[in-house]
Amino acid sequence: MSAPGKPITIVIDGVEIAASEGAMLVDAAKHGDVEIPVFCYEPKLGNPVGACRMCLVEIEGIPKLQTACSTPVRDGMVVYTQTDRVKETQNAVVEFLLVNHPLDCPVCDKGGECPLQDISMGWGTGRSRVIEPKRHFEKPIPLSPLIRIDRERCIMCYRCVRFSQEVAEDEQLQLLERGDRSFVGTHEDRPYIGPFHGNIIELCPVGALTSQAYRFRARPWDIEDAGSVCTLCPSQCNVKFTVRDERVVRTLARDNADVDDGWLCDKGRFGFQMFSSPDRPLTPQVNVGGSLEPAGWEDALERAADGLAPAIGRTAAIVGGGTSNEEGWLIQRLLRGALRSHDVASTPHRGLGRAARGRLAAPELAVATAAIDDAGAILVLGCDPMHEMPIVELRIRKAVRRSGAKLLVATERPTALDGGAAIGSAGCLEARRYAPGEARHFIEELTEAIVSGGGHSDLAGFADALADSGPLVVVWGESMLAGDDREETAAALLDLAGALDLAGADGGGLYEVPLAANGRGLREVGCAESFGPGYAEAERGRSADEIRAALEAGEIDALILADADPVRDFDDPDGWKRALAAARFVLSISMFAGASAKASDVHLPAEGHAEKEGTVTHPDGRLQRVRPSVPRPGALRPLWQALSELSARLGDDPGAGTAGELFDLVAADVPFYAGITVDAIGGTGTRWQERPGRPAASASAGDDLAPAEEQDGGGRGASAAGQPAGPADFGQEGELRLGTYKDLWADYVAEENPALRFLAVAQTLELNPADAERIGVTQGQRVEVGSGGRSLIATVALRERMLEGTAFLARGTAEEPAGALAGARIASVAPVPEPEPKADAGEGGEGGADAGEGEASAAPAAPALIVTRREPASW
Amino acid sequence: MPTSGEQRAGGLETRVLFRHIDEPGLHTIATYEQLGGYTALKRAFRDCEPGELVSEFEASGLRGRGGAGFSMGKKASFLPHGDMAKYLCCNADESEPGTFKDRELMFKNPHGLVEGVAIGAMAAGATRAFIYIRGEYAEVADRLDAAVAEAYAAGYLGEGVLGTKIDVDLLVHRGAGAYICGEETALLDSLEGKRGNPRLKPPFPAIQGLYDGPTLINNVETLMNLPNIVNNGPDWFKSFGTEQSTGTKVVSISGCVRRPGNYEIELGIPARDIIYGLAGGPPEGRELKAWYPGGSSAPVLGPEELDLPYSFEALAEAGSMLGSGAIIVADDTVSIPHMALRTARFYRHESCGKCTPCREGTNWTVKMLERVVAGEATPMDLDIIASVQENIIGHCLCVLGDAMAMPVGSMVRRWRSEFEETIARARESGAATLDVEPALAAPAGAGA
Repeated sequence: MSAPGKPITIVIDGVEIAASEGAMLVDAAKHGDVEIPVFCYEPKLGNPVGACRMCLVEIEGIPKLQTACSTPVRDGMVVYTQTDRVKETQNAVVEFLLVNHPLDCPVCDKGGECPLQDISMGWGTGRSRVIEPKRHFEKPIPLSPLIRIDRERCIMCYRCVRFSQEVAEDEQLQLLERGDRSFVGTHEDRPYIGPFHGNIIELCPVGALTSQAYRFRARPWDIEDAGSVCTLCPSQCNVKFTVRDERVVRTLARDNADVDDGWLCDKGRFGFQMFSSPDRPLTPQVNVGGSLEPAGWEDALERAADGLAPAIGRTAAIVGGGTSNEEGWLIQRLLRGALRSHDVASTPHRGLGRAARGRLAAPELAVATAAIDDAGAILVLGCDPMHEMPIVELRIRKAVRRSGAKLLVATERPTALDGGAAIGSAGCLEARRYAPGEARHFIEELTEAIVSGGGHSDLAGFADALADSGPLVVVWGESMLAGDDREETAAALLDLAGALDLAGADGGGLYEVPLAANGRGLREVGCAESFGPGYAEAERGRSADEIRAALEAGEIDALILADADPVRDFDDPDGWKRALAAARFVLSISMFAGASAKASDVHLPAEGHAEKEGTVTHPDGRLQRVRPSVPRPGALRPLWQALSELSARLGDDPGAGTAGELFDLVAADVPFYAGITVDAIGGTGTRWQERPGRPAASASAGDDLAPAEEQDGGGRGASAAGQPAGPADFGQEGELRLGTYKDLWADYVAEENPALRFLAVAQTLELNPADAERIGVTQGQRVEVGSGGRSLIATVALRERMLEGTAFLARGTAEEPAGALAGARIASVAPVPEPEPKADAGEGGEGGADAGEGEASAAPAAPALIVTRREPASW
Repeated sequence: MPTSGEQRAGGLETRVLFRHIDEPGLHTIATYEQLGGYTALKRAFRDCEPGELVSEFEASGLRGRGGAGFSMGKKASFLPHGDMAKYLCCNADESEPGTFKDRELMFKNPHGLVEGVAIGAMAAGATRAFIYIRGEYAEVADRLDAAVAEAYAAGYLGEGVLGTKIDVDLLVHRGAGAYICGEETALLDSLEGKRGNPRLKPPFPAIQGLYDGPTLINNVETLMNLPNIVNNGPDWFKSFGTEQSTGTKVVSISGCVRRPGNYEIELGIPARDIIYGLAGGPPEGRELKAWYPGGSSAPVLGPEELDLPYSFEALAEAGSMLGSGAIIVADDTVSIPHMALRTARFYRHESCGKCTPCREGTNWTVKMLERVVAGEATPMDLDIIASVQENIIGHCLCVLGDAMAMPVGSMVRRWRSEFEETIARARESGAATLDVEPALAAPAGAGA
């Protein structure tokens, strides 16, 4: 947000009010406790449109009434909001709005929380002179599988259309027809599918757009609101759960301009049904003769302690996803303390060493999420925000559209940002593709081009745009660090930051998109094989890959999996199955018993983010509180208590009586969290980099640490430096370089929430059309993808903007996990017959929805409602 | 071209824009040049500074001929100076019912417009110009395209016009048939490829218009006056008309008159001279009952106002407006309630739907007027109709809502007794006359 204007005074209804110059009158009036009613005004949607005419007020010196939503205040402005003229106009506008509104409040889902109701009562006459018949539409009909639209109730405020066109920029919603026949719809009645479309439900000021998952589930007087933080991805959006009868029935945004700008993605919005999923284990389970059976906590914890006690020095832990800081800290303490092991991993591949991590965490390089708004340029490097951290995508689009930020994209795989923004904004200046695993080379070349002043380089345009841009934010993905050259890649990234002078740059810096929702927090509390809490020195432990190998080889005996499902998500699923089978004891902790949990000896049920009490750390360093909004279902216990008890049984009682005390222990162990309390975190969080009097984080976590080679030499020495993998050998002999990507919907959330099931991802092989033609496969075809004796089945999807010679598979699918082939080159792609009952319903829709990108397949006529997902049309 | 107006019809007609309008072949560049065409363009581009031209236009008192009547020179002077991309848009979306002057001007004299646009663009510092023409004028647009091509070939348009360093590109863009796209900001949205909806003002197009660049938007007739001003000077222009309404005006007259059509008059002559003197008045044996003085959005006047001078100021003072200069005459065979309904239906159909009072008000008004002519209303409904018009006026995003509310409101006020009689008669006869078009259409001639 731009800086507030200079302080001025205005007079509203005879009362002097302090305001800041340039603020819209409707906002300035609020500071004087004057409410001017609005429908269409919503600053989050961009410039005011002045369409509803509800906010007309009288301003001295201007003959016509003015819309307060679009009138910036000036010093000495004299405004009247209570004159007869204004009141008559307000009455008139309310009367007009109700000419065609059905007034079916008693059966409307919005009743009781409806701005139209409130404003009609507050600013209308309470009586209508309309006796004419109202307009009719078929209603309610699905606008998407998640939203129903009632066009009769719509008052044409334009909010949903503006969201689609100016915030999500998917351009799917349009106002069709004109005049009093106008209605909101999509081109050819296609369903509105986009990862952010649920926001329009919340934007709608009437009952025209209702949530399929919430319709008729509650009345406003039945419900309570409870604030928490969504931990389904690193965006960590602030949410407000609607609770009825101790169950979450809806998720709304809890507007935090520093985190989410008041938006939610559909995963966060509709991913609440899983809290009451029948599949969810609500008691501990123990393995009885090969299958998991419910057990009491006493029994389960005793078995866990008994299983781990003999494995001192021979236990490993993998901590993932939405695990809180406290839970993560307890697990690493248990491992490093009572179990005397250093094998604590929180990433699927070896994590970055201590030195590089410390440097990347230096506050001088850090940038707050809100700073993206004012960036002069944004470089999206090695990540796809829409899939990995969706809300950041909206932030980037906003910066480009509203502030003219330059956008540059450099990724392995096409992203939705490539096409940039719509007409009227600068859009994406340039989108670059590099081959899977070649991030480091790209960064090095870019740095070279910047240092040499561009010149002859092929990246000169890129370099120029970055060099001369104002504050620059580099949004980079942790997934770039998956390869063996991670240290070199990190060093290249730091060199790039140096070349761009990002350290200490006002409003600029590095912004990481971590792999896991609480990736940063887990790392900072010591869930890493190369360092302890606060990036402290620690003896080097095994990485996830090494843990798998060590289990298989019998070098270690026991494994703790916390919110991690390596069989599904990590490389080499068969290897993991063997490793789990070889392990003498496996303790798994998760909300749902996934593929890996099924092989465990003891399973402890975990809380969801509506039930948990604890903290998480946003990728920009903001600590946030996850707070219990509903009682824990079934026999669930707070996981931190269970972990504390387990630890105590193994001889080390952490000694925290409450979650708050536990956080104090964590804060005492992480130097740069020192002084932070749960109260200080409060409802909107606090960035540790911005704490007054914080210890210089670079001292605890950075510059004076030993250089990288000391840290991470051992074991897997051969860095990619020795194996040139430039474009020269790429695509040779018909082989395809395989990359994987995290798909937003490829995880248990899409499966455990009935509303989202239609989005669940089946394995897809993405190919450049030229490669597909060469291989002889077509869009939508089922193929067997093989490499070195391993193979999986996938459906072909063609993407024009992919680099030739590359192929992509989605990570995290329930079937045919990409990890089976990860790191390999694809040697063969062979068509396979369709499965027996020829009913791959997704196929036609997928082709149809993706049309326009040059796909080979002619899409069949679109069904009335395509129940499948799609990438943005701009792909 | 002409150095003075040509008097016709006993001095009632003053032909300046129409001087050679019926000259065969005027639409070709050869004939146009032969008659003195493009001399103003040569003078403007070779000998004038943009600022000088804008001052001349301002000094001439030329007011916009599209409806609002704002000083053309003043509007041009609002454009910021500087290097940014600036645009000129000629509004040729002539959609106001009763208005068909631009059609004749453009069809018969396309080069007159091309020359006017080029001069206007040069004065405004715009290097790109557009003529946004309503899609229904397909033949006219073809002629304009041909004229633009000829002008490019002759060096009057394009890069370095006439060897100067000034570029002017001109493109003819065809609209898709929405009245609202004649509203200047909706025109810009439509030209940008968006749904044609009016924009919130401010910012005004002079500051932030087409593609967010400063944009001058003028009507066809306004721009076609520019070559004459350049040739003859502002004082010559001011020698026509009244002090506040300088120059001549092409008036489209239609409805119940014997000789409907376009007449060019000196502003300020009595309206009676136009309606009776030029157009011949109502057919034999009929009396004038009502007239729209400036297109269907102007409040309707009666016989009492026939001797008003036909000028911007006199009509405004009488509570109406000169608008686009289209006079629609209704005689005593015309039912005023039906005329009101016909007018309201047009605006309901053309309302874009963006703002509440226009979208709902036009539709509600139509429904109430339908009840009036069907005899299903009461006199109280007339109060509601009048009050709804009051609630629309001045409260909308653009003037389309007002464009219905002003004439309909004026009719309900002035001919209230006829509305009451209509209700009573329709109720007695029991026959709903809902879809009977008024006699308005009978004498024909009113194109557009």
